[in-house]
Amino acid sequence: MLKNLREKFVITPWMIWLGIMGIILLAGAVSGILVFWKGLVITNLTDKVPWGLWITIDLSSIALGAGAFSLCAGVYLFGLKRFQPIARTATFVGLIGYTMATLALILDIGKPERFWHSMVYWNTHSLLWEVTMCVILYLTVLMLEAMPIIANLEWLRTRFPKIAAIMSRVHHYAPILAIIGLGLSSLHQSSLGATYGVIKARPFWFKPEMSVLFMFSAIVGGISLTLFASMLSARLTKKAKINDVLIERVAHFVGYLLIGYFYFRAWDALAQAYTYDPGRTEGLHFLTKGPMAFNFWIGEMLLGMIVPMILLLYKPTRMNRFWRMTALLLVAGGVVAFRWDTNITGQLVLLSYIPGAAITYTSYRPSLVEILSGLAIIAYGLTAFSLGVKYLRVVDHSLVEEEHEEVHVKGTEPVRI
Amino acid sequence: MAKQNINRREFIKLSAVGVAVIAGTRAVTGTQASSDTPKGKHQWAMVIDQSKCTGCNYCTLACQAHNDINPDIQWNKVDQDGTVGDQQQVFIPRPCMHCEKAPCVEVCPVKASYYRDDGIVMMDYDRCIGCRYCQIACPYDARSFNWEKFTGANPAVPEWGNPEVERRPRGVPEKCSFCYQTIDRGLSLGLKPGIDHDATPACVNVCPTGARLFGDLNDPESNVSKILHEKYAYRLRENLGTGPRVYYIPAEEAKPEA
Repeated sequence: MLKNLREKFVITPWMIWLGIMGIILLAGAVSGILVFWKGLVITNLTDKVPWGLWITIDLSSIALGAGAFSLCAGVYLFGLKRFQPIARTATFVGLIGYTMATLALILDIGKPERFWHSMVYWNTHSLLWEVTMCVILYLTVLMLEAMPIIANLEWLRTRFPKIAAIMSRVHHYAPILAIIGLGLSSLHQSSLGATYGVIKARPFWFKPEMSVLFMFSAIVGGISLTLFASMLSARLTKKAKINDVLIERVAHFVGYLLIGYFYFRAWDALAQAYTYDPGRTEGLHFLTKGPMAFNFWIGEMLLGMIVPMILLLYKPTRMNRFWRMTALLLVAGGVVAFRWDTNITGQLVLLSYIPGAAITYTSYRPSLVEILSGLAIIAYGLTAFSLGVKYLRVVDHSLVEEEHEEVHVKGTEPVRI
Repeated sequence: MAKQNINRREFIKLSAVGVAVIAGTRAVTGTQASSDTPKGKHQWAMVIDQSKCTGCNYCTLACQAHNDINPDIQWNKVDQDGTVGDQQQVFIPRPCMHCEKAPCVEVCPVKASYYRDDGIVMMDYDRCIGCRYCQIACPYDARSFNWEKFTGANPAVPEWGNPEVERRPRGVPEKCSFCYQTIDRGLSLGLKPGIDHDATPACVNVCPTGARLFGDLNDPESNVSKILHEKYAYRLRENLGTGPRVYYIPAEEAKPEA
């Protein structure tokens, strides 16, 4: 009997994976409940640093979900139809990213039960209001875009074939959804940068190029993460089937995008050295020679841009799957580093309201509760993606979707008298 | 594929419904909070004379009692501000500046921070979602977040006064309100804020050296209007264009007794 059971329950790598994710999710759930119960006092957030690790996770998951709108726009609006299978994966990654961001925000706000206030009480002056509205609307668009993917669930197909068929048909509206998605994403991806860019109290953030940088880095990072996730799944399971030619072409494009991103970021950071501006100059020093220097020079510049740029533009390394995957992962990591550096540096450098007072500095280190719940949000994303690969054929380049622009024209019957 | 097209009439109908819903929401929500710079009958302002301030912190304590504030939080913070003359220490008390163009009001996603007609920047603690964007945006560090619930006795009560407003819940930022409750009650009794004790903010009343003045900028005869006419005054971080309603008269070297 025991032998029979043992034979039935063979421990597969899949089960180990789910087990590890389960443990992290459980630890995160406990931390989350503690936060709701005890309040934000158990975090290391302070009045000086009110936005910490969770906000970085929120910003990063939205940025890395940007592959959805960029690739959907490319496929459905700019006519790059053969990349459609990658756009499919990107849509799913986007859906996961945006739900991750929502989870992080619910943890972060002091009154989570009032989250719906932003939909009812509008302050059209507020960047954060605009971002909230766009994220809610775009999450709806992503859910619609993901309908045909969810319709792939075997259980749904056999149990409710009609519902599955209706969900698959949403694909016909993909171009319209891509237009709406492009509009909403352009608005909120850049407005997340502007959220920081309009804060005149903190000169390190107060600059118009914040929105451009956030938008640009999101496109670069979002596409990279989707490509990396596709390649990794294909390595790990037979359920994922990729067409390497497609991935290689998009990765080459990412290489070129990186040149632009590198130029913008280097110019943005280093042009601040032109003049002395109280607060801003100290922020720049904090970033380039202070506690953030490793993050900036190594995390963002070298590993986040220069190394992957070379790996993706140099043909032999791009053709090598290992180096290509490494490069794509580095790009995504670099975008996360940019979000972290920007958010933290702006808050740690304190410009006093007292005339002539010296610049002071503060510090922030996330508490265990913040780290555990943050890890759980990431674990949720990884679990959701791996389930998608296993059961929804999220990464399957052999899957050919019905052509969406197919139009049946019925000829009028000639009238016989 | 069959029902892909809606006809023009349906489209117009749908659009009309959409516009009506949006307009309805705007009409309902637009009434409570205004996000335009206020132009009411009174425009309250405070003048703080740094040459008179001794840094005794009475204002902070009176504020904490009257507004029932957690002892960890100071709506009205007193800092050192260098020296003048022969090592004479100067102080700078900092309430909320009640800016004419307040960054906190502009950035709040739900209009929980708003202007009153008399220029007071108010917080609607029942509407706030606790995102802390206002704290990030305030150039004067005037906002403090309720990281935990304030329970138990207030150590400043009753020595420094009695609470006049409700305690704020956990999870929202709070700040100085120019003691709006005192002003409103005083006005309804026909008193004059800044002159009559019962219509004046607690920090102004308690100041032992008379370093604080409060009054109406719209009234040329008010003590704030007069002193701003006579003396040089500055405002904090004026270059940001926030237009604070708190003015400072800089300290001068104390003259030796003749």
